[in-house]
Amino acid sequence: QVTMNVGVAHSEVNPNTRIMNSRGIWLTYALGVGMLHIVLLSIPFFSVPVVWTLTNVIHNLGMYVFLHAVKGTPFETPDQGKARLLTHWEQLDYGVQFTSSRKFFTISPIIIYFLASFYTKYDPTHCFINTASLLSVLIPKLPQLHGVRIFGINKY
Amino acid sequence: MASGQQWVLVEMVQAFYEAPAYHLILEGILILWIIRLLFSKTYKLQDSSDLTEKEIEEIIEEWQPEPLVPRMSKEKPAPSYNIVSGPPCHKITVNGKQCINFASFNFLGLLDNDRVKNQALQSLRKYGVGTCGPRGFYGTFDVHLELEDRLAKFMRTEEAIIYSYGFATIASAIPAYSKRGDIVFVDEAACFSIQKGLQASRSHIKYFRHNDMEDLERILKQQELEDQKNPRKARVTRRFIVVEGLYMNTGAICPLPELVKLKYKYKVRIFLEESLSFGVLGQHGRGVTEHFGVNIDDIDLISANMENSLASVGGFCCGRSFVIDHQRLSGQGYCFSASLPPMLASAAIEALNIMEEDQDIFRLLRDKCKLIHKELQGISGLKVVGESISPAFHLQLEQSSGSRESDVRILNRIVEYCMDRKIALTQAHYLEKEEKFLPPPSIRVVVTVEQTEEELEMAANLIKEAAQNILQ
Repeated sequence: QVTMNVGVAHSEVNPNTRIMNSRGIWLTYALGVGMLHIVLLSIPFFSVPVVWTLTNVIHNLGMYVFLHAVKGTPFETPDQGKARLLTHWEQLDYGVQFTSSRKFFTISPIIIYFLASFYTKYDPTHCFINTASLLSVLIPKLPQLHGVRIFGINKY
Repeated sequence: MASGQQWVLVEMVQAFYEAPAYHLILEGILILWIIRLLFSKTYKLQDSSDLTEKEIEEIIEEWQPEPLVPRMSKEKPAPSYNIVSGPPCHKITVNGKQCINFASFNFLGLLDNDRVKNQALQSLRKYGVGTCGPRGFYGTFDVHLELEDRLAKFMRTEEAIIYSYGFATIASAIPAYSKRGDIVFVDEAACFSIQKGLQASRSHIKYFRHNDMEDLERILKQQELEDQKNPRKARVTRRFIVVEGLYMNTGAICPLPELVKLKYKYKVRIFLEESLSFGVLGQHGRGVTEHFGVNIDDIDLISANMENSLASVGGFCCGRSFVIDHQRLSGQGYCFSASLPPMLASAAIEALNIMEEDQDIFRLLRDKCKLIHKELQGISGLKVVGESISPAFHLQLEQSSGSRESDVRILNRIVEYCMDRKIALTQAHYLEKEEKFLPPPSIRVVVTVEQTEEELEMAANLIKEAAQNILQ
């Protein structure tokens, strides 16, 4: 079901699972990243490599916070809180791995990383920052880390 | 653009050729990762409790369907019902015989009250019979809002909410607040609707012995120790105590002042189910909080059904505004059931009027309860279970005959003996396979304010006679 159910009655128990499949969200996300980049480019004292690194870092930070840090749902679900301790990434498609939206959101930070490393001219400092940021957003997406809370951080 | 930094494509491509090796190797790995991702199939993560394919096949092979109609055993015949014709008021017609009603929860005698009936008829002429919709879908009438307002004022709380089915009231209220991962401490003798609410809530349920505050304190302390070991988990766990004001299964009154002390000591919220104590206990009939003089704001949620003292249908919950408001969207029985028929709401309002005008009936009812309690003491073979001021108490066999079925049969003979002599009694029936802690078989005697002292004495003497004849 790839339709965008806005303002209609639906029987979806947890809408968080389906939101990343709704129509237009991938495009919105790509445009959002583009907008972020343009805003950063408009700041006069940032050079192009710095802007790209900043785009990469801010995008990965936002992705980490919204997909891998915040748990539960902002609305009440009729399943008595089954997803209360799950991050949004873990809730996507009810835990089914390698669905198309999961693949998209795994590949998009990699694409941004490629672009960032090209535009920073493979400078070692920028490379270090960008790689660290990319790893922080790629590793939680591995299926082996589904539901894993390292050192009990963010468990409850 | 920054000073001195020129963005030229040629320079960029040149930088690519001069890129450090580790970086290019990393990018190569990432490209391989992307390709692997694009070609991997979706799969569901196996839960550790899932069975393998082989095990699933084995279980399907060895499954035998049960018969559509289970075989009835010869000893346990199909239940025969006592058929009531006419309203179950003070004089009830059971199986064609007119008896005095000692079985219906009509504590204040408002079932057959003329004022209540007239008000209901007027409301019937004005609104029709049903509401044909839930509260959110044109099912809210002015009588509903008026009844909620009146109940809130009567119980001296901020807000009240009406349900259209008494059983569903507490069964919807508990799962609205208590979710997975929360802990509910509940009395063993909780009634069936509370049990269904707890089951629907999917929370951790911890039972304590009936009315035993030391047992409750013991498990609260246990929980406190566990909380100290894992404070982060404790911070997101909600804790509740669910008790009844007057227990339907045992006729006991919960010790509310101790419960409030435990509430503040261990930071637990109290849900009080007042179906039998509303309109019975307290100087003005406000229930067990008035009976003990406890501040009503100390109780987080009071739930009661209007099917007993108020002689209407449905139930209500009352409490602080922000607590009750939550149920307007989360109370399943409120959002997804048709609302209370307006004639029943008007009947309930009129019953509340009568309760507010005539303050004496509560004391009268309690005096009658004490009277019959005293009379029924000392019967050999039967013991009275319940407080002396409880209008619904139980008569249990002092010595069980061994099996529940034979106990039920003996009590049935006592009930039939009394019914033949114009006193209608009933046994307390339970869904035996579904109850968590099945109470022993008993006869449930109900005292109403309409019964005269002669009738009470007659009933007591008859029960004594029956016990002597049948149990000796």
